[in-house]
Amino acid sequence: MAKKKDLNLPGYWYLISKNGILFIFLLLCILLSIITPGFLSWANILNVLRQSSIIGIMAIGTTFVIIGGGFDISVGSILVLTAAMCVGLQYYMHWSLAILIVLIIGVLIGLLNGFLAAKIHIPAIIATLGTMTIVRGLAYLYTGGYPLYVEAPDFAYIGTGYLGPIPFPVILLIIMVAFWQFILERTRFGRYACALGGNKEAARLSGVKVDYYHILTFVVGGLMAAMSGVVYASRLLSVTPLAGQGYELDAIASTVIGGTSVSGGEGSVVRTLIGVLLLTIIANVFNLMGIHIYVQYVVKGAIILSAVGFDTYSKFRQ
Amino acid sequence: MIKLKKSFPGVIALDEIDLEIYKGEVHALVGENGAGKSTLIKLVVGAYKKDSGEVYFDNQKVEFASPAQAFQSGLSVIYQENSLIPQLTVLQNIFLGVEQFTSLGIINEKEIYRQYLQITKRLGFELSPDEKVRNLGVAEQKLVEILKALIHKAKFIIMDEPTASLSENEIEHLFKIITELKSNQISILYITHILDEVFRIADRITVLRDGKKINTVFTREVDREKVITMMVGESLKNAYTSTFSKKKKSQKVVLKVENLKRKSRVNDISFIAFAGEILGITGLRGAGKTELSRLIFGADRLESGKIIIDNQPIRFHTPLDAVNHGISLIPEDRKKDALILMLELYKNITLPTLEQFSPGGVISRDKEFTATKKAIEKLDIKTSGIRQVTKYLSGGNQQKVAISKWLQAKPKVLIMDEPTQGIDVKAKVEIYHIVRKLAESGVCIIFISSEVSEVVKVSDRILVLSNGKITGEFEYGVNQEELMRTILKGSK
Repeated sequence: MAKKKDLNLPGYWYLISKNGILFIFLLLCILLSIITPGFLSWANILNVLRQSSIIGIMAIGTTFVIIGGGFDISVGSILVLTAAMCVGLQYYMHWSLAILIVLIIGVLIGLLNGFLAAKIHIPAIIATLGTMTIVRGLAYLYTGGYPLYVEAPDFAYIGTGYLGPIPFPVILLIIMVAFWQFILERTRFGRYACALGGNKEAARLSGVKVDYYHILTFVVGGLMAAMSGVVYASRLLSVTPLAGQGYELDAIASTVIGGTSVSGGEGSVVRTLIGVLLLTIIANVFNLMGIHIYVQYVVKGAIILSAVGFDTYSKFRQ
Repeated sequence: MIKLKKSFPGVIALDEIDLEIYKGEVHALVGENGAGKSTLIKLVVGAYKKDSGEVYFDNQKVEFASPAQAFQSGLSVIYQENSLIPQLTVLQNIFLGVEQFTSLGIINEKEIYRQYLQITKRLGFELSPDEKVRNLGVAEQKLVEILKALIHKAKFIIMDEPTASLSENEIEHLFKIITELKSNQISILYITHILDEVFRIADRITVLRDGKKINTVFTREVDREKVITMMVGESLKNAYTSTFSKKKKSQKVVLKVENLKRKSRVNDISFIAFAGEILGITGLRGAGKTELSRLIFGADRLESGKIIIDNQPIRFHTPLDAVNHGISLIPEDRKKDALILMLELYKNITLPTLEQFSPGGVISRDKEFTATKKAIEKLDIKTSGIRQVTKYLSGGNQQKVAISKWLQAKPKVLIMDEPTQGIDVKAKVEIYHIVRKLAESGVCIIFISSEVSEVVKVSDRILVLSNGKITGEFEYGVNQEELMRTILKGSK
């Protein structure tokens, strides 16, 4: 009974459990600004945001996939293929056309992922394991195994330019988060994604075209991975086929740290962004304090487990 | 050998049941759905906690904390749906938890085989021991469960509707084995609706009704008529003096189905349904009611047959097609198929009709919230607000949500599969009123229920289904006993 009451009357406990990640994030920021003096400087804040932009954009897609009840580990490979092509295609065409093409490629890989998961019924993690390997292979084939370079000041603006005082990739990230949060919360597609992630059969019996929307979540995953590939290429102006490894894991980690349920049905793009920032800040602070990168892995893993464990255990207790 | 005594007062309670089962006896436990048979078993094996009462097993007072503990002590339950592990072999399943080991800690295959052969020989049947359970038929899986119980030294086996999905031959086989078990001094509590079976194998019969024990009788001293009367009760002959008065029926046929067929579960079914009519469909569990509803809704693929709406033959491929043609289904399993429990109330209510609130794909909050509030008011859903997570509503209120999500779609035909299952009496009556109101507004309601007393009360017309076929049709006012008889008769 007591439990029921809590949920009927959203008190502060409800708020904390719903926005727990935000509280932790703010707490961490305050703490860090006290111990590390350089932390709250304008330059460092922009630095954190810029570092977050690539994973952030990618994680938006991951959020949609996981909300829809799927899983996508091919996004790191999509990043490297699209980044490499975005650089390579510029030998033959204008950079804007190259961007358009790689975005379409991202969509197509997403379609394939969705088709394999929704229509062929391969468990999503295995389906995307397959495409991850294929796409990584394509990236090697495309680059021949060597780094690709490009000299294009206009193109470089996307990854390194500034709009006023703010880096352009940060602006792109914020626009994307706002846009996709709106899609998730206020459009039919967003609602159906939650519904099918929550209970696919019930959604189907409610007359929802579940396969179509399931595939669509993977398309968003592919598209956003390709967009992160564009930002990546533009920032470095060179791409090796080894790039982007482990990015999918960071994207998934940020999503689940942001409170998106691993079993699907609920989640938020904004909270995923907070998850991304959290991970970046921790890396940032460790760098500022001169702690070895190896330790960062251990801490990151522990954070993932506590975030997801909190979610799954509290559900189990119900 | 066993003496059960328990009082369990309350609304859905079991009330002071005394039951004694002798060694080597086949004892049938019969009663309508909701009579308390399942509750009784769950109390005995410790799946539910009893309020008071005692269970004696082998003249020892026992207190099982869980079904697993009961199982260890020699009291096995064979449920309708099996509890085997499909990926393991017959042998691995049977010996699960009691594997024999050699002194080196390795599984002693030889000894296991020896025990297996010994026991199958005793019972006079054979199963290939290394077959994976998932490759076996339902009947063979039942046998594996019986073997498993025996290997675990069961002295008392409870069988819950064991013949529900068996063919006639398989039933014969099962009966033979039951006789064999009996001669090995094993007691059996046999739970069923099907009186034919009871009269064939049971030594004694105990009838439950509304959570009370009516009587225990020797099978040879009674006939079917008498047992049926005990099951439904004399007084219920007057049950149709209810408040759900029948309105004048319209003559507009809205739904017509012809020769529907899918596997053997729905076998050549044809009927018509009128606008504004409540068409009750009843029958035993496993008679094909749910399968029929899913076919009409396009949730399963039709093998053959025609569905005609407003004189237009329709070919369904998905539930969406059905919805677009004015058919809605409220599935039987509320938690699994009807609702998305983790989502908020309003998201569930507007899910099938979201397009109405989202011109161009963008959802209008105002419209959506207004519609939800109206729906909550209309069906009097008890909730803390439209944002309440559906999981936390009571069963009756969840059912109302499942109904209300379809009202906005303005269906011509609303199929309700067991709409009052697992909800309290007050909520049931509310649902009946809602159903009647909908019918009065011209909706054709297909009211599927295995609770005979409710079908009699609610329906304008009743179809009886058994083994995938329609075996009877009744108008409003049918005597409950007569209906029950048709249901049981067709179930051979």
